[in-house]
Amino acid sequence: MFVYEKKLQYPVKIKNTNPKLAAIIITQYGGPDGELGASLRYLSQRYSMPYPELKALLTDIGTEELGHLEMIGTIVHQLTRNLTEEQIKTAGFDTYFVDRTTGVYPTSASGFPWSAASMAVKGDLIADLTEDLAADAAMAEV
Amino acid sequence: MEKPDTNVPMTPSTPSMPNTSCGADKGTLPCPCAPLAFPYIPMQENNPVRFSRMEALQTGTLFPGLDLPFKAAIQAKTKLANTALVELMALDFAIDELGLYLVTHAQDQEALQLYWSYIKLAQEGREKYQKMYGPLLQTDLTPEAGYAWLKDPWPWDEGGND
Repeated sequence: MFVYEKKLQYPVKIKNTNPKLAAIIITQYGGPDGELGASLRYLSQRYSMPYPELKALLTDIGTEELGHLEMIGTIVHQLTRNLTEEQIKTAGFDTYFVDRTTGVYPTSASGFPWSAASMAVKGDLIADLTEDLAADAAMAEV
Repeated sequence: MEKPDTNVPMTPSTPSMPNTSCGADKGTLPCPCAPLAFPYIPMQENNPVRFSRMEALQTGTLFPGLDLPFKAAIQAKTKLANTALVELMALDFAIDELGLYLVTHAQDQEALQLYWSYIKLAQEGREKYQKMYGPLLQTDLTPEAGYAWLKDPWPWDEGGND
């Protein structure tokens, strides 16, 4: 089961808001190669793994990815804290703001809500682990 | 609690038993007669070279062999503040990394011992942190302080990472 520890894995202290940047970074939260996808991918694939090493690995990594999700959410939150109307009108962010204000919603930068269609859980060891390699490499790119 | 190794330069700490095989950035593959059409990942060898804990937190990995910045761009490593929180973060990160390593190297005695020593350090670190900042787990309770779990700042708040 899951236990929450009240600290981030790495400190996030953003002094200046930047809604334009937030509109891009949100994709690492709820985009196709973001942390939500990573967490659910690993945590879902672990059930059909036949070896304890793999059950441990996917559980541990999936849990860590949830911690990363929290850090990205924190970044978006701090980038959009207490915005003025002028700042909200900044390119790109007003379309997000009209529906979410400064809430943190799992979506890609292009406005597409997070979908499990961006991940695969095949129940086959090789296929799942290979998909993990591809997905994590894509995430490194983001 | 021991001081963080913030002043240790880039050289990673070498384990006590030197590795005579492939080097920090290479691993072992199955023997020459491996089945066709499968992709193989070299396995990280036993007792790998490690960064210091603060270096590890800044780099994003405990192992220089796994420090593979995308497009070989050398990322600027931001200096981290020297607070009890950051010290605990660095320690916990090293614990996470060693834990993952041990999943595939469960027989590596040196790593197991190091993991255990870090866990004991982290227990001290948590006590120290909680006296200063409040509970880390919902079940860390000092009844005299009331139900401090719900108090601000939460980790995503302004001032939550000071």
